[in-house]
Amino acid sequence: MPVLVACFKWVVDEAYIRRTSAGELDLSSVSYKISDYDRNALEEAARMKEASGGSVLAVTVGVPESTKGVKDALSRGADQAFFIADPSFGMLGASETAAILAEVIRTRIGNFDLVLCGEGSSDLYNQQVGIRLAERLGIPCLSFVQKLELEEGRVVAERRLEDGIERVSAPLPAVVTVLPDINIPRIPGVKDTLSASRKPVVTIGKDDLAVAPDAHFRTISLAASRLDRQCERFGADETDIRRFIGALRQKGVLR
Amino acid sequence: MAGIWIFAEKTEQALELLQAGQLLLAAGMGGELIAVTWPGGPRPEDLGAAGAAEVLLLPPLADHQPLESYGPSILEEARKVQPNLLLFSSTARGKDLASRIAEGLNAGLCSGCNALHWNSESGTLEMERLLYGGAAVQRIAPFTFPVLATVPPGTFRRGTGNPDREATIRHLPAPPVSPVSVLEHKPKERKGQDVMAAKIVVCAGRGFEKPEDLAFARNLADTLGGALACTRPLSEEMHWLPEDLCIGLSGIQVKPDLYIGIGVSGQVQHLTGIRGAKIVCAINRDEQAPIFAAADLGIVGDLYAVLPRLLQALNETAAP
Ligand SMILES: Cc1cc2nc3c(=O)[nH]c(=O)nc-3n(C[C@H](O)[C@H](O)[C@H](O)COP(=O)(O)OP(=O)(O)OC[C@H]3O[C@@H](n4cnc5c(N)ncnc54)[C@H](O)[C@@H]3O)c2cc1C
Repeated sequence: MPVLVACFKWVVDEAYIRRTSAGELDLSSVSYKISDYDRNALEEAARMKEASGGSVLAVTVGVPESTKGVKDALSRGADQAFFIADPSFGMLGASETAAILAEVIRTRIGNFDLVLCGEGSSDLYNQQVGIRLAERLGIPCLSFVQKLELEEGRVVAERRLEDGIERVSAPLPAVVTVLPDINIPRIPGVKDTLSASRKPVVTIGKDDLAVAPDAHFRTISLAASRLDRQCERFGADETDIRRFIGALRQKGVLR
Repeated sequence: MAGIWIFAEKTEQALELLQAGQLLLAAGMGGELIAVTWPGGPRPEDLGAAGAAEVLLLPPLADHQPLESYGPSILEEARKVQPNLLLFSSTARGKDLASRIAEGLNAGLCSGCNALHWNSESGTLEMERLLYGGAAVQRIAPFTFPVLATVPPGTFRRGTGNPDREATIRHLPAPPVSPVSVLEHKPKERKGQDVMAAKIVVCAGRGFEKPEDLAFARNLADTLGGALACTRPLSEEMHWLPEDLCIGLSGIQVKPDLYIGIGVSGQVQHLTGIRGAKIVCAINRDEQAPIFAAADLGIVGDLYAVLPRLLQALNETAAP
């Protein structure tokens, strides 16, 4: 029976980010979500368990306010969650997150078969954590996976690369990072949400960790990106469409 | 100061990285430009001509070994030489290798780096990347060297090169056998138009109801002499178009004179891919769609009504 570990991150929903008139980042009206592709990782783990038994352990590193995300993950089919929380875990770099995940997976879970991560988080999109985690754990990593199967002590996966599809196989335990088209994540129902609140959560604080990884970078500046566009509107009738074509010709971008 | 290393799967990507590296060295970063390659990768002659002083050549991989198996060989050499900066082209394999090597060196890796600046006064390397799908720009500096970066193809200009220049070649040892084996490689069929080089890009979004309807967009692209591209849902979820036509954060970044998004909502991850477009146009039936705030010219209307009218008007008013 495979032990499946799904890592996820509770992130700002970027669709609600605004730009102030001074060009600063305005996060005042944001909401939060489980990072998009981590939902695919959780879903894939849940499906594997539903198909062949075993258990799904969801692991996250974040600020204490991420409890909502922990519950969300548990409503998506995970059996148990490991919540590594500290107020200082808000803007961790990829190497720090990987180091913390590796310690918890090694010391608190120990016997696992497969770790699933999203290919990158929707906030930082470093695309490093899963790969660094595998290096830390000293096990193989299959990155950018669009299809996944477990076979007799091995994982077989289709990786999507620029020059085509590479089907690869690695011995377990291993880490995979998944692409969004591996599955369509479920939308948890009321029953899932209710049962989630009865599932066990292991909360781990900063002081419980042996590692204290250092940041590799300092931030010089962080600003909202600018989009200086003219925002001229046209209707859909023939007159307006001709005006539209005229405007494009005038700008010299149409022959 | 031990210079800058570059690694890319394709020659044109390597030339970009070499050019970026040369600019940093010229700004006073110090050291030499060194390219890592393998049989089947960019050719040492081309790398030398484009400015690499040295080429580190890996031996051929054993059968069924993925390219990432080279990680330990590159890592070991990097540990010895301690380059200041390692630049990787951000293809899937490049991103994977860079992450492994960064972890092995206990070094930082700036993913999706789109600007590099050596501040010679303070001796800092300033690196720029996007956050929150492109909604924010972050400038960072590493605390320590070596540091790594993955660079999206198309970010930097390629250098011109000098065919008389030659790199010295040094051979790296073979890596240990990787536990990962390649069972099969299904190459991608070559598609016609190169979206990254096109002056006009017509981008189809989820507003199209059926794959057949993309004919409207293709028609418009043909009429304008442009290339067809798409948003991620079309390539990734519907599989109506190949992934290398997907524009955005996780796809390609384009810099055409004219971009026309049709049935594209304009989520930040997609807009990230068209920041360099000279003129952005949008056709969308929802006047609240975020793309209108990011467009120079927008037509509010149903694409199924607008496109036939637009095509007809274009044909009628075509410049003689
Ligand atoms: C980490 C991450 C990376 C991502 N990377 C990318 C990326 O690289 N590229 C990318 O594109 N996306 C990317 N996405 C996804 C992105 O967030 C959006 O989901 C996606 O761009 C939406 O595509 P769309 O505009 O085609 O679809 P939708 O958002 O569904 O928009 C469809 C639009 O069509 C309009 N419409 C519908 N019918 C009609 C009609 N008849 N006539 C006119 N208009 C109509 C609607 O009003 C709507 O605005 C990424 C997401 C994440 C989390």
